[in-house]
Amino acid sequence: MTWFSLLLNSLWAAIPAVGFGMIFNVPRSTLPLCAVGGALTYGFREVLLFNHLSIELSTFIAATAIGIIGVFWSRRYVMPRPIYTVPSIIPMIPGTYAYEMMISLVSMNTVGVTDALLSSFIENGLRAISILFAIAFGLVLPSMYYTKRKQPII
Amino acid sequence: MILLNRMSKGFPTISHEEQTRITTVVVRVAVMLLEYGAESRLIEQLSSRLGVALGCTSIEISLIPSAIVLTTLVGDSSVTTTRRAHEQPINMSIVHQIVTICISAEQTPRNIMMVERALGNIHANPYPAWLIVPIIGLSCAAFSQLQGADWLGFWITFLAASVGMMVRRALSSRNYSLLIVFAFTAFVCTLIASLSFYHGLSSTGRIVLSSSVLLLVPGFPYINAMLDAFKGYISMGWGRWTQATLVTLMSSLGIMLAMGFWT
Repeated sequence: MTWFSLLLNSLWAAIPAVGFGMIFNVPRSTLPLCAVGGALTYGFREVLLFNHLSIELSTFIAATAIGIIGVFWSRRYVMPRPIYTVPSIIPMIPGTYAYEMMISLVSMNTVGVTDALLSSFIENGLRAISILFAIAFGLVLPSMYYTKRKQPII
Repeated sequence: MILLNRMSKGFPTISHEEQTRITTVVVRVAVMLLEYGAESRLIEQLSSRLGVALGCTSIEISLIPSAIVLTTLVGDSSVTTTRRAHEQPINMSIVHQIVTICISAEQTPRNIMMVERALGNIHANPYPAWLIVPIIGLSCAAFSQLQGADWLGFWITFLAASVGMMVRRALSSRNYSLLIVFAFTAFVCTLIASLSFYHGLSSTGRIVLSSSVLLLVPGFPYINAMLDAFKGYISMGWGRWTQATLVTLMSSLGIMLAMGFWT
């Protein structure tokens, strides 16, 4: 992995963050920070993956990082945190794994259950679910820390 | 001094009619937050902050996914009301405007006129179709690029996701149920993305198919469900989780139908 490809992938990841921000109808002024958040999160995960961490663990760490950054941004610009954090984690959604899981389920129905299809179903499904949970736990952790305090964040 | 203290706490000065008016405003804020996709803790915090700023002693709120029961307490007198929440598309712009209103209400307490006027001025701020359709197409195409698709696959994904977004907007504006919208959009996306298998146009057909339906990921419901469940709103968490899972199942139903169509 060169620095160039890391930068390029981060730029590609910034586009879905902005696009999904538009689907969720975030205020216009927050779109640049959504892009930055998406690029940062995805780039950080790439770096961790390059250092031979498992994909679940690196997703978890990247999601925690954007959760903590989101607290600072939301204080500074007086926005609810999910406006920044949810579009930023969108590039890490395990779409391909979930899709492969579904494909093997369908073909098990049509051509019959084989060992290869069954193992593909279980492997891809477990991978997709564990990545989804890693994202969710990562986002929940920082806000769990701040709910101890009586004072609200914004 | 004691009189001033009692007045600032609002015991003798708020009549029953005024309290009813405050209750109406606060429950309206809470219902809007629930409909447009705020997390439960934010709903409870914002409505109780607004109620205290308008002069109540405290606000008690009970949330279920489709309704809100809210009680305002002023001294010993309480007013309780229930509102049904209807399903709306997620709109963070409205949530942000409500947060701003609550903060300005805290800075000028007991000013219900200002809050009512500001609530009347809330606007949905939708993005125009000519902007959102190509951006969503580009987003899904960027997904395919991140997963390693080739350039022809990139453009097929772009086409499929753009058309899918148009279909989704058209169906949503005709007030179809969310489940129908998602199933039909997934069907259309998969049909168009199947072009990549036609004479082997793209060597990475599976990636194209999987990334062209990614515009249907219910990101906010899943994250909100986890946030709610972890912060002690178990029933809200389950409700949102069920909704998100149903939406995902309906999308996969659409994908399966489309795949059965061309094989």
